[in-house]
Amino acid sequence: MIALTTPYLWYATRATGIAAMLLFTLVVCLGALVTTRAGGTFIGRFEVNEIHRSISFSAIVFLIIHIVTTILDAFVSTGPISAVVPFTSSYKTLPVSLGTVAFDLIVAVWISSLMKVRIKNVTWRFIHWFSWLAWVTSLLHAYTTGTDARHGIVFVVLIASTLAGVAAALWRIFARPARAAGRTALSPLAHAPTQSRKSNPPHFPRVPTAQRPVRPSQRGRR
Amino acid sequence: MGVIRRHGQFVIRVNPILCDGFGHCAELAPEIIHLDEWGYPVIDPEPIPLADVGALTSARYAERGCPRQALFIERIPEPGAR
Repeated sequence: MIALTTPYLWYATRATGIAAMLLFTLVVCLGALVTTRAGGTFIGRFEVNEIHRSISFSAIVFLIIHIVTTILDAFVSTGPISAVVPFTSSYKTLPVSLGTVAFDLIVAVWISSLMKVRIKNVTWRFIHWFSWLAWVTSLLHAYTTGTDARHGIVFVVLIASTLAGVAAALWRIFARPARAAGRTALSPLAHAPTQSRKSNPPHFPRVPTAQRPVRPSQRGRR
Repeated sequence: MGVIRRHGQFVIRVNPILCDGFGHCAELAPEIIHLDEWGYPVIDPEPIPLADVGALTSARYAERGCPRQALFIERIPEPGAR
């Protein structure tokens, strides 16, 4: 148990907490960008979505290291139960509970996303809304609990994260197209001249299979 | 990946009520799915043979990548098979 009383676990907790805060802010911003149909010219819209998914996974890894090192560390008396049940930590009860609530919400969002193909899309979206609440709660947790959060560079990072997330939220509210946002430059026929309805065939301009555009990765396969 | 069944055909179907015109499908399966001028998918109704592995892979990417899960691959078995 000597290793648990060294300060390194505590340092790891602080460092991974800051990293998780940054990554989750990035995830929230990217998620808002997916909804506003960002991308389509120099980066594909689907790529924004893929980056959102992959960064959320690494954010969860940092979050789990943050929680495990907090539990293992002997400096604060935060046990494994406090990781999931709020108001059970004797150390900084309310600030730690904010982190607990954020973790529970993130787990709900995470599991619902893993089950996305098995649950209704509407249900998934309802649960996904709670990621905004989780993000706000985690920033409050960072400010109230963080050893370094009220001064120096970490305070600057915290403020920058807050501003970035708020900007993403405003962008999400005011710049979101009602439904479809038109063609993307990366999609085929994006630069094709728009024909009038009368000259268009009623359905699909039938392209023979041999003339269909082929992605570079598929060349030579057929 | 299981055994690729080379017999039969498939078409991509879209649920127009779920679709919100994100346009991800046309980027992921550009040889099958085009977008109309409002950004909704226009899908070639002509069935594609399952042996066309490239098209099937693109179709699976599009099915998985749809944020609203509005796309699905429908297999058309060969007449007389089974």
